[in-house]
Amino acid sequence: MSGVPVTPRAGPPGGAAGGGTARPRLSRAGRRTAAPLRGGRGERGRERGRERDRERDRERSGAMSDIRHSLLRRDALSAAKEVLYHLDIYFSSQLQNSPLPLVDKGPTDLLEEFLFQVPKERGAPPKRLTPLQELQLLEIMCNYFQEQTKDSVRQVIFSSLFSPQGNKADDSRMALLGKLVSMAVAICRVPVLECAAFWLQRTPAVFCVRLARALVDDYCNLVPGSIQTLKQIFTASPRFCCQFITSVTALYDLSSDDLIPPSDLLELIVSWIFEDPRLILITFLNTPIAANLPIGFLELTPLTGLIRWCVKAPLAYKRKKKASLSNGHAPNKIAKDSASGEDRDCHQLYSKLHLSVLQVLMMLQGHLTEKNLYGRLGLVPFDHVVPLVEDINRLSDELNPLNASKEIELALDRLAQALQVAMASGALLCTRDDLRTVCSRLPHNNLLQLVISGPVQQPTHGALPPGFYPHIHTPPLGYPALPAHPAHSAHSVQTFIPGMTFPYRPIR
Amino acid sequence: MRAARRPGRSAGCKMSAQGDCEFLVKRARELVPGDLWAAKAWLITARSLYPADFNIQYEMYTIERNAERTASAGRLLYDMFVNFPDQPAVWREISVITSALRNDSQDKQTQFLRGLFETLPGRVQCEMLLKATEQCFNTLERAEMLLLLLRRFPETVVQHGVGLGETLLDSESIEDQESPVNCFRKLFVCDVLPLIINNPDVRLPASLLYKYLNKAAEFYINYVTRSTQTESQYQGSQDSSDIMSPSKRSSQKYVIDGLTEKSSQITDPWERLFKILSVVGMRCEWQMDKGRRNYGDILHRMKDLCRYISNFDSEAHIKYKNQVVYSTMLVFFKNAFQYVSNIQPSLFQGPNAPNQTPLVLLEDVPNIYGDTDIDRNKHIHKKRKLAEGREKTMSSDDEDPSGKARSRHITVNKADLANSIEVLESFKLARESWELLYSLESLDKEFTRICLSWKTETWLWLRIFLTDMIIYQGQYKKAISSLHHLAALQGSHSPQQITGQGSLENQRALIQLASCHFALGEYRQTCEKVLDLMCCILLPIQEGSKVQEEQPKVKSKFRKGSDLKLWPCTSRAIMPYCLHLLLACFKLRAFTDSRDDMALGHVVVLLQHEWPRGENLFLKAINKICQQGNFQYENFFNYVTNIDMLEEFAYLRTQEGGKIHLELLPNQAMLIKTSSPPMGLLQQEFIPVLQPSIQTADRHHTVTRGITKGVKEDFRLAMERQVSRCGENLMVVLHRFCINEKILLLQTLA
Repeated sequence: MSGVPVTPRAGPPGGAAGGGTARPRLSRAGRRTAAPLRGGRGERGRERGRERDRERDRERSGAMSDIRHSLLRRDALSAAKEVLYHLDIYFSSQLQNSPLPLVDKGPTDLLEEFLFQVPKERGAPPKRLTPLQELQLLEIMCNYFQEQTKDSVRQVIFSSLFSPQGNKADDSRMALLGKLVSMAVAICRVPVLECAAFWLQRTPAVFCVRLARALVDDYCNLVPGSIQTLKQIFTASPRFCCQFITSVTALYDLSSDDLIPPSDLLELIVSWIFEDPRLILITFLNTPIAANLPIGFLELTPLTGLIRWCVKAPLAYKRKKKASLSNGHAPNKIAKDSASGEDRDCHQLYSKLHLSVLQVLMMLQGHLTEKNLYGRLGLVPFDHVVPLVEDINRLSDELNPLNASKEIELALDRLAQALQVAMASGALLCTRDDLRTVCSRLPHNNLLQLVISGPVQQPTHGALPPGFYPHIHTPPLGYPALPAHPAHSAHSVQTFIPGMTFPYRPIR
Repeated sequence: MRAARRPGRSAGCKMSAQGDCEFLVKRARELVPGDLWAAKAWLITARSLYPADFNIQYEMYTIERNAERTASAGRLLYDMFVNFPDQPAVWREISVITSALRNDSQDKQTQFLRGLFETLPGRVQCEMLLKATEQCFNTLERAEMLLLLLRRFPETVVQHGVGLGETLLDSESIEDQESPVNCFRKLFVCDVLPLIINNPDVRLPASLLYKYLNKAAEFYINYVTRSTQTESQYQGSQDSSDIMSPSKRSSQKYVIDGLTEKSSQITDPWERLFKILSVVGMRCEWQMDKGRRNYGDILHRMKDLCRYISNFDSEAHIKYKNQVVYSTMLVFFKNAFQYVSNIQPSLFQGPNAPNQTPLVLLEDVPNIYGDTDIDRNKHIHKKRKLAEGREKTMSSDDEDPSGKARSRHITVNKADLANSIEVLESFKLARESWELLYSLESLDKEFTRICLSWKTETWLWLRIFLTDMIIYQGQYKKAISSLHHLAALQGSHSPQQITGQGSLENQRALIQLASCHFALGEYRQTCEKVLDLMCCILLPIQEGSKVQEEQPKVKSKFRKGSDLKLWPCTSRAIMPYCLHLLLACFKLRAFTDSRDDMALGHVVVLLQHEWPRGENLFLKAINKICQQGNFQYENFFNYVTNIDMLEEFAYLRTQEGGKIHLELLPNQAMLIKTSSPPMGLLQQEFIPVLQPSIQTADRHHTVTRGITKGVKEDFRLAMERQVSRCGENLMVVLHRFCINEKILLLQTLA
């Protein structure tokens, strides 16, 4: 590949704009008015910010246009390199002053013009990179993130590159992001994957789902067998894997036949989780938690999404089968056999996945207690249970109960198990009465009945609080010996964690 | 139908937790074969509903256990152990696991169970083993269980080690174990004792340490020297019905009753014993020195100690007395065993072991073919005197131990014993240890006490050594009584010993008795033992063996008379030795001044052996016959087949030979009678021992020196017949001579 790789802070990559004086510093940008990088900015706030940005642009248009002019003289690739170089210097100095740097309009515009090729002049034809140039651009970016050793700088740059701005550049931004992450997966660029994991946390779910779809397209649909490449990412960046799972469960909600996860993807995720169920909790365990989760973003864990998969799967697959039969696609015998074989495999996978989810829920109890969030953070929100129950209700109505009684029973068994274990572990915060109300219209199921009624009270076993198990071995390293909150002292013990051979320690 | 699945919840029924749990477990169980993941999901749910229900957790455990997933099964077992300590199912499981720990088996299930145990935290392992021990009522099992605990958790040795040891030693007596090689002693000596004495936190009084050392020594020595007879007896009783696999029986796997085959095998027993000796020594503050020493060094050091410490019975020196006694004693037993196991390997190896020739220590018979005239009487008297003198010095306590230790040379053929230097060194070390132990009264007393308690007088192998030692010391009278003792022990050790090849080895006492009697000049007894022995000799033996060639070399090198030799205990080697003894006995009688034709005749017969080495002596006999003018020996034609001798005797009857009157035919009248028909039934009856070769007797042979000319017909015929027998195996002839003429031979020496 051509081109000098962008080396952060390594002097100008050559070209017309030689010498430090010719290089306007961007650090003078007004911090006061800049919008915070973090997501969650309301639409109105964003509008206000834009107005101010324009104002400031006018003030500093001289410096910006200097840079812009020097960049315009370059070819697309070296201009892109140069932009990254400028940004690197800009954010590095910003980070020295403040832990949360602010991005203002000037750099963003430069990025859009020279990286995402959005024409500045209204009505001008969009510039297009040749596929080769695009590949080189991706390589430049990959290399940049690989070589920037400071996590904070890397993340700020990634955010400024790929945070949706609500403008027309977002499409090319998302397209380039999809390609970048896909490339990072292929050549195992851990820093990019880590940045992408953070991005998935801070970006509205609609965009996350787009990234997920791009990756699934690349690795599940485009090239058969390439899923193995994605599989290996497990060891390189578990954090990315965790967020990826969350985003694909948000994407594939089994609401239609098209939104049933491809079997390769399912197999991939089950193999990851089965190898180490703690994967599911990585984002949760490594993120400072506010009690109120922001709306419109991905959940902290893929738990709800995975529960949805497991519970709805028997019905969704049945519906799909029925549809293909009634569409007159009566499959020949061989196709039928292979399809039923695939169904059987999927059934096994969901069963395995469901067990893993329950096991993770069991683990969760201890972590919630440790973080002093037990009873305060519904990782499986009741609000998400309600539509799930409604979906099941609708699906079981749609399917002829006589033909699908087995599937309905399985779905309800899984629902009941997930609800019970989630409640017991403190992931689902609701009463059994709440459940009774929600589930009242569901077909009868013995286990669900039992769960809704709750266990028959029996003489208490020693001093054990219901739903709790005495701790095993020594408490995990680093766990506080005493609970931080006296109100939760009863839960200070490490709980039973099946399938775990040693106390949990965050992977990274 | 659905309602029925949940009995507790059907309308009108009282809700029951038990019913719920049963329902949940039942559902899980139904799913196990088809969908294990689902089964587990059910159980997780069940447990989150009813955390205090045992059956749910037991079912979870069962699933993991059956799938042999060590980590998760261990986790669940731990859980049950902590939360449901009173559940019988938990105890069943724990006892299965602990028995797997004790088991040698390498099968998958056992290994899984061991792995399962390993996943548990140490504290729990410890607790589990202790509780499992408490539930054990069988002493042996209990001991094995406790051993598991002690091995894993050295800190528990302080609390349980000595107690376990004493329990084992008690059980030994309670269960009336006859042999010190029993399962209790094995566990004590090999497993518990090292843990106790090597644990720096366990402090024991010296008396206890000596007691343990004593028990260990007794065990290891008996273990090493266990006889193959008892072994095969044991195996015989064990699987007498197991005819299908004779190879199994012969594989010589020694199993201590109550133990497994693996735990019955002890590698390097001597090394272990000497290790215990050194640890005990260190603990009792002996005069130790660092570094490994060989047995010779140890003995040397003990000798030094004896020299420096005058009074072992003083309180301050009592520990050194123990040091000397135990160290020397172990060196003694080790080397005595080494010696005996080399000269009689079958004692320890069993009949199927690679055959090494057994050896027997014998006095060399000096100068058999030499002239006896000069020092005959002097020699015997001197010898007799010497022997008796020694006997006296031995029986009195001791005056001069170094005087006895005069070194004698022991010859051994390299081909018979490849490691002869080591074996003779062991013999020497054992002798010197023995002498040291008897050099001081206080040592003697202690050693004797130990020997008594170990019943060493019943140890056949030790008796073999002691006998050889006494023979070496030249105390033949004492040796003879020792040999009688040995013969008695042998009888008791192998009551149904088959006669034949093996028996010669078992007749070592007889051979040595003959040798000793001869050394004492007791020729009749010598002869008696030799003739008894002849019954065990296996024929045929080819004459003209190596023995003949070697004899002169050896003789020239060393002093006459004081040599000993380790002879192979085989017919081939023993038969010539016996013939030498006989010849030596009769030679003396034959050449006395008084006339004894019978003895002279026997000598002539015996001189055929190794002919012509005895030619001079034969000529001397001929001389004597000439001087006498006549000679009567009716067995002549039965046993003399040597052509040179026959010629000589034929010549004697001629004019030139002096016309000596020879009466060599048993019954001349009968011979004459039978001489007219060339060959007849009568003749065969008359000389029943003569071989088919007699059929050629009627062929006419031209015997030199014109025998046929002037001699009587019968004598001529006999001579002719005899000549035809020259090709007969001489050893067969001489053997027959010994067997058939036993009474005659003994009478001659009366």
